[in-house]
Amino acid sequence: MTPLLSVDGLTLKTGDKTLVSDLSFSLGAGERMGLIGESGSGKSLTAMAVTGLLPKSIVPAGSILLDGQQVVGTLERTLNGLRGSSVAVVFQEPLTALDPLMKIGTQVAGPLGRRLAREGKSPPRREVDREVLQFLDHVALPQPERIANSYPHEISGGQRQRVAIAMALACKPKLLIADEPTTALDVTTQAEILKLLDSLVRELGMALLFISHDLPVVATVVDRVTVLRNGRAVEEGPVKAVFDQPRHDYTKTLVEAARSFDNALEGTA
Amino acid sequence: MSAADELTPAVVTAARKPRWSPTFTIGLILVGIHVAIALLTLFWTPYDPTSTTGGRLEPPSFIHWAGTDRLGRDFFTQIMIGSRIALIVGAGAVAIGAAIGVTIGLLAAFATRFLDDALAATLDILIAFPTLLLAMLVVAASEGASLWSAILALGIAMSAIVARLTRILAKRVLQNDYITASRTSGTSWPGVVVRHVLPNIWPTLSVNFALQFGIAVIAESSLSYLGLGAPPPNASWGRLLQEAQGTVYTAPIGAIAPGIALVTLVIGINLLADGLRDIGDPTRRISR
Repeated sequence: MTPLLSVDGLTLKTGDKTLVSDLSFSLGAGERMGLIGESGSGKSLTAMAVTGLLPKSIVPAGSILLDGQQVVGTLERTLNGLRGSSVAVVFQEPLTALDPLMKIGTQVAGPLGRRLAREGKSPPRREVDREVLQFLDHVALPQPERIANSYPHEISGGQRQRVAIAMALACKPKLLIADEPTTALDVTTQAEILKLLDSLVRELGMALLFISHDLPVVATVVDRVTVLRNGRAVEEGPVKAVFDQPRHDYTKTLVEAARSFDNALEGTA
Repeated sequence: MSAADELTPAVVTAARKPRWSPTFTIGLILVGIHVAIALLTLFWTPYDPTSTTGGRLEPPSFIHWAGTDRLGRDFFTQIMIGSRIALIVGAGAVAIGAAIGVTIGLLAAFATRFLDDALAATLDILIAFPTLLLAMLVVAASEGASLWSAILALGIAMSAIVARLTRILAKRVLQNDYITASRTSGTSWPGVVVRHVLPNIWPTLSVNFALQFGIAVIAESSLSYLGLGAPPPNASWGRLLQEAQGTVYTAPIGAIAPGIALVTLVIGINLLADGLRDIGDPTRRISR
């Protein structure tokens, strides 16, 4: 079976600078993979390259096959058809990922309406609204009616991230890219969002590309990881193998750093 | 933390209703009076604006509220019709300026670097021309002065300012994460403009439109004063002021009345613009 996403020899350049070089990985339908590395290692750029939404100044080379469609060098119109149906993204910053002047309900209705149109349905407005409420309820938001009627600045950061997840889910994509979805949240909210994301991805059978710099976070939601450093993949394998017996020095440093942090926490507890 | 802890305080929800704003109310009343008068002139005026109904340069009286002009026509009637002309010119100029300006501004915001720079430079040159001078050029280039040439002239002069503002605002909106987020869920570029860009630039743009409306009213008066606006018998305030120039010492009402009309309308519009900003932007409503 051909994988859902297959990245082959992806290189991203801006001017003379190489941001990501010769990156290859693949992800089957329903698989869950983590992309980890420090900031500036090219994780988020890789994600944007997959959606075909790189800034104009960054030039991609190599091949990205998403759902059987080549992304690199493809026309905008073709790519736009992939977005939403094949891939959707949850971003890091829930504060800025929602349109400040649009009510939550209307924002969720956007991608939902496009998916329904793709499926050849054009239900009346009232039915779309009801489905919006269902999605808000699905991501465990309290009082969906009130939230749907609120503007983003009227709800909390954790709630906004739930809305962002609801919007991505409303697309029913085959691949969900989560770009550090919990980094901007406090630890307890983080745990809740992770649990939510984990259960929803399983429930809907989506593939997950989880981007993070946080090893313990990644370990809880994915099966395989790819470790990126300075735009190169330095290690790849199942979560357990990579974290228990890291082969590359950089991965060792990362794992040790996470471990010593855990130890420090336990020491004071 | 349970989900219930994340509930927003009730205060925030309560504050969503726009607060009563005195500036907005005063603006609304002033503009409302002018609009009501303008509409009224379509059906009724105290006297026929073009026929002589009294002596020449009569002072204000109960028969002629603002006296009569040099030809003995009722002056108050002419001021009333002036309201209509001022509003038509303001609205027309803003409509033309907005249509051209927003289109060019959005094009520039989405354009390639080269086209964007070229458009921005052109706009800067156009803005460097004083609005009135540009409008005079357009009027002079068109076939004689008329109400429509004045509207077109002011609209074109205004469009450069609107275009530059739109370009900057749209560029800033396009940098936001929610644009990328919207794009990743499959919103097309036209969809992004309609769903996100226009609503997000509208609060600032609408205030600018209101201010431009006021500027257009003054500019039309200036054009008419210079004889480049609506020709007689159109009773533009600018032309009334110009006609009153020679008799300002003997019949000061001829200068005072159109002056008051002009000032009240422009102040009203500016106050309205101020109030609009608070209404258009829900995030501002709680900060007030």
